[in-house]
Order: sequence, then C-alpha cells, then structure tokens
Amino acid sequence: MLKVENVTKYYGDLKAVDNLSFEVNDGEIFGLLGLNGAGKTTTFRMILNLIDDYYGTITLDGEKIDYSKTDKIGFLTEERSLLTKMSVVDQIVFYGRLKGMSEKDILKKLDYYLDIFKISEYKNKKIKELSKGNQQKIQFISAIINDPKLLILDEPFSGLDPLNVELFKKVILELKGKGTTIIFSSHRMEHVELFCEKLVILVKGKSVLEGNLKKIKEDYKKKKIKVIGSIDVDKIKKIKGVIDVEETKIEYIITIKDDSVVKKVFDYIKTVDDITKFVVELPSLNEIFVSIVGDKYDE
Amino acid sequence: MNKFYYLIGQSLKKKIKSKWFLIINILLFVGIILFINIDSVISLFGGDFNDEKNVIVISDISDTNVYDTFSSSFNNNMEILNNDTKYKISFSNDNKKDIKKNIDEDDILINIIDNGNTIKAEVISLDKINNVFYQIITSSLNDTKKVVSLYRSGINIEDYNNINSNIEISREVINDDKSVDENLELIMGTIFPILILPIFMLSILLVQMIGAEINDEKTTKGMEIIISNVSPKVHFASKIISGNLFVIIQSLILGIAFGIGLIIRNNIGSEATNSILDFSMIIDTLTKTGIMDKLYFILPLTIVLMLLTFLTYSLVAGILASMTTNIEDYSQIQAPLAIISVVGYYLAIMSPMFDGSILIRIASYIPFISGVLSPALLMMGQINIYDVIISILVLILTNYLLIKYGIKVYKEGILNYSSKDVWKKIGKALKNK
Repeated sequence: MLKVENVTKYYGDLKAVDNLSFEVNDGEIFGLLGLNGAGKTTTFRMILNLIDDYYGTITLDGEKIDYSKTDKIGFLTEERSLLTKMSVVDQIVFYGRLKGMSEKDILKKLDYYLDIFKISEYKNKKIKELSKGNQQKIQFISAIINDPKLLILDEPFSGLDPLNVELFKKVILELKGKGTTIIFSSHRMEHVELFCEKLVILVKGKSVLEGNLKKIKEDYKKKKIKVIGSIDVDKIKKIKGVIDVEETKIEYIITIKDDSVVKKVFDYIKTVDDITKFVVELPSLNEIFVSIVGDKYDE
Repeated sequence: MNKFYYLIGQSLKKKIKSKWFLIINILLFVGIILFINIDSVISLFGGDFNDEKNVIVISDISDTNVYDTFSSSFNNNMEILNNDTKYKISFSNDNKKDIKKNIDEDDILINIIDNGNTIKAEVISLDKINNVFYQIITSSLNDTKKVVSLYRSGINIEDYNNINSNIEISREVINDDKSVDENLELIMGTIFPILILPIFMLSILLVQMIGAEINDEKTTKGMEIIISNVSPKVHFASKIISGNLFVIIQSLILGIAFGIGLIIRNNIGSEATNSILDFSMIIDTLTKTGIMDKLYFILPLTIVLMLLTFLTYSLVAGILASMTTNIEDYSQIQAPLAIISVVGYYLAIMSPMFDGSILIRIASYIPFISGVLSPALLMMGQINIYDVIISILVLILTNYLLIKYGIKVYKEGILNYSSKDVWKKIGKALKNK
C-alpha cells in the first residue's frame, strides 16, 4: 500500500504541494488530477524519492521509499524519457538492468510485451525511427518490464489512437489484477473514469477533492436530467432549483441544483403526453473537474 | 553496487562500440605510423629526389686548381650535412654555350669565373635546385673563393684557419637539476609539443564527451528514469569513471600506435636518416642531458599528474553538464575550461623561454594546467621533484573539493530543466546541507 501523509513541498517561497494526503491499496488504480503546474509531477517525484527535501512522509508497504525500493517501482514520464539513439532492445535492457533485472529475464519479458503491443518487428530498430505512438508503447514497456509493485503513469495515453488506448487499458487492468498499485495522471477525464476507483484533484498544490470516484459523483449536487418529448422550456426554467435547460437535436438536458429538484421537474413532465425519455444522470468527471478546478483556480 | 558497475560498463561500451570510435582510431593509428615513418613513405612513393645530380664544373682560372678545391669542399659539405642526394661531380673543358645547349634536367653547371683578386660564379640548371643542395653548392663556392683569395693575397691557409676557428669551450653545469646540454631546449621546442598534444586533446575530448553524454540523457528526459533507479552520486561517479577509463584506453591505443610506428621504423625505415624525427639524435640528447636516467621518476610523476588532471577536468565537466539542459548551453559554459587548457598547452610549449620565472613556477601548481606544464618544466630542470609533488597535492585537494561540493551541485542540477541563472543555481546548491 502506498501512503502519502501530510506532504508539503516548497520551491523557494512557492508552495508546490500543500499538505497532501492519500492512500492507495494494492491492486487499486488511483487518479492524480489537476491542471498543469498543480503539483502532480512534484508529487510523483517525491513518491519516487527524486525529491527528498519535503515535509511529511511517503511510505510503500509501511517503509520509506529509497533506492533500495525503487526496483519495485515502474515510472512512465509525461514526456518521452527514451534515449533515442538506442535500439528498442538496448533501451529496455538498459532500463531493466537499472531495475536490477537479469538480461535474460528482460529479453523474455520484452518479447512478451512486444507481441502484446504488436511491435515485435521494431525490436532492433532505433527509438528515433519509431512513430510517436510506438515510442509511447516502448516507454510503457520500459515502465512495466520489472512487474512493478507500484506503477506511476504520468499521461500514459499521450499520442495514442483509440485502438492502442484499448491495448494499454488491457495491460493496465492485467497489472491491477496482479496486485500492482497504480497511480496515474491524465488530462483526459474519460480515461480516468475508465480506470480509477479513487482520485484526488489538486489545485495549486492543494487537494480540493478526494475520495472514491463513485461517491464523488453521487455526492456532487448538480445533476442532469435528460428528457425527450414536447416540453415547454420556459415552464421548466421557472421551476425553483433548475439552473439551465439545454436543447440538443435529440433531447433536452436540464441541469438541476440538487436531488430535491428532481421531483419538481418530474411533476411537470408527468403533464406532458409524449415523453419517451426521463433519465437522471450523475455528472461526468469532466464536469466535476471543470466546475471545481475552475472555481478554485479563480480564487 | 552492481548498478554502478553496470552504468560504467554501459557508458564505456556505448563510446567504444560506436563506429566513430573505430573510424577515428583507425585513422589515428595509420596517421601516427605514417608520421613516424614519413621519410620512408615519401621514398616509397618515389619522385625525382633520388635521381643522380650531375655537377659539371667549368672555369677560366689557371693559377690555382679551383676544381679540386671546389669538389673537395663539396664532398665534405655533403657528408657533414648528411645529404642523401646522389651526385656525380666532374670538370669539363667544354665551353659554357655548348654545355648549356645540351643541359639535362639533372645537370647543374657551375662556372667559376676569375674576378680580379677573387672569384665569382654562375650556377646554371634547367629547373629549380633542391634548397639544401643549392646551399651546399653556395657554401662550397664560398670555400673555394676563400682559398683562391688567400692564395692570391699570400696568406697561409693554416694561419687563416687558426684565426677563424671557433673558441674551444669546456661546458660544466654545477646544479644537478639543470640540463647540461642547451640543445635540449631545441628538442623540447620541437618534440615536446608533439608529445603533450595528445594529453591536451584528450582533456578537451573528455570535457566534451562527459558533457554530451549527460546532456543527451537530460534532453531526452531519460535522466528521470535513470535517477529514479540510481542516486545522483552513483550516476555522477559512473560518468566520471567511464570517461576517465575511456581516455586511458584512448591513450593506450595512441601509445600502441606510436610503438608500432617505431618498430616499423626500426625494421623497414632504418635507411631513411633524413627525417625531422631523428629518434637516435633525440635519445642521444636526452641521454646526454641526464633525462633518460631520471625517467624512472619523471614518467610515473607525469602519469600521476596526467590522470589527476583528467579527473579534475571530468569532475568540472560533469558538474557543469548537470546544470545545463542542452549541448548548446553546455558548449558555452565549458568554454573557459577549454581556454584554460589551451593556456596550459601554450605555457608548456613555451616553457624554455621562462627559465627562472617565479610566475611560471607558481603556474605549474595550478590545477588544469599543471598536468602539461609541470612535466615540461621538470624535464627542463626549471622545477624540481618537490614542485611536482606540490602540484600533485594541489590536484588531489582540488579533486577532493570538487567531489565534495560537486555532488551537491549535481544532485540539485541533474533533474533541473531550466537554463536560467546557472551560476545562481550552483551557488544555491552549494549552500544546501
């Protein structure tokens, strides 16, 4: 289990991370979200012990993370961290050896993953000769070659097409099944929703929202009601607690203040004859993120 | 510890396995061997320098035998100057006009003409004459002119030679450290720059290589992965050690090439004696000056100085590279290091000019330049073994301080991707506990 407790990091006078705490259990996928400069990369660096001058404690399975533990960690950086003049095999062997693996084990795993990602023919090619997407696959393989206990993925889907996102998803879920603790950051909220059970949203280094994703969505007061039928938009807008009514080509999307407004809207809908759809939906993570981060960022 | 050795091996393998290393070393190998045997190589390709010159002497002088005088002087001069040019010298009774009409490209016609109490001469050839050969002709004509003039003035040649001969000097230097033979300065001026050039070049190569390697890892952000697996201290040490091992290997390769060149010279190039690299003369001079007897301490001290200097350069290069984000920034920041190295090189090759200078003695203690300057001054006898030991101690202290404080800077800079305020960042890193 990864435990981050009351962690604060200063760069000069700037507080990059402010009293951050969270826990990630074995086999759990955790999302670390925030705008650029929110403190995500600094947090990753502190977890990896790349930064050690911070307040608070970070432990993996109850022990402080130092260079004796890093063999159990996999890290995929946001930017390409490949030595582009190397061949694929040399690159993976290099990073694998730095994880304390034997060359034989590395080559065996490399063949397995190259096959999974359908890039076996690039094994002896130079990294710089590969496409952006294939470079990302190699980078991902380098992060998981050691079957990590803790896997940190900083924007893992960058440069990938939807088919390759599916491939990544499959491998990430496989690792989760093996008990790997996974933390990842992404600007693509639909990806976070796909994987994460728990998350924390950072604004200017401070946690503004954290917890179980499902509960966060349920607790988020603003909801949406989707309706198909001949409704009177002006009448709906006059209902107390209705924030907005948006008309799309197919349906009406009614944004309400909280759950108490659902009954009032439903009472009106019952009076309309041709209603074919009435669904109360939880907000998307993207909506929650934009709402919370936008408000806090303006403060 | 395994990761540390792996990093050293990996870094070294990357450099040695590159095709550039192979190409450059093949070129260097061939170049050094050819340079040492340059005279044999020139002879091998042939040319008109081996054609026999035909020196034809004509003269209108009858009171003295100018041909005998001239030919005797000419033969002597050819022998003294060790000139390899093949020649035949003869007197002709034909007239100038006839000889000129049939002159061949290897013929040189010398017409010695009566000129009152003395003589003058004409030298006629189809093409330009080799400079050394022409000087020998000129010198022989001057000798002939002297003999004819003395004869016509009634002065005995022996009396003249006594007056004109050099004073006999018995040379003794009491201070054992000083060179006995002033010819050594000439040797040091010509041979020493060639000998220390590899040290100078390897220092520059070391600085460039370490900077390029660290910046390559930083630019690609591969450094994030590396430093998340090995500490900055281990990474720094691996770069320094692999860089130094590389220059040692490169030095050995240069040494082997030099040795092979000498072996080839001894076996196939022994006939060629007209080389700028007359090793027997150099070794003779070094033996006469006592340097050969002192090699047992000069050589180890020079090697220690060289290795410590390489270490100093590599430590500074590693520290500077950690604070920069790309090779362009690094090239700028390491420029002073290259300038210091050039200054050291020039001071070393100009050392014969600074005999007795306190400033140059103090300069020989300065790290970065002591590696080339101290051995030069020691061989010249301008400093003694204790001065060299001081230079070594200063280098050890410098390296200790560079390691102690450099690791702080390296740790701070290696994952820093801002190229702003580099010196400020270094200062800040040094203040960190």
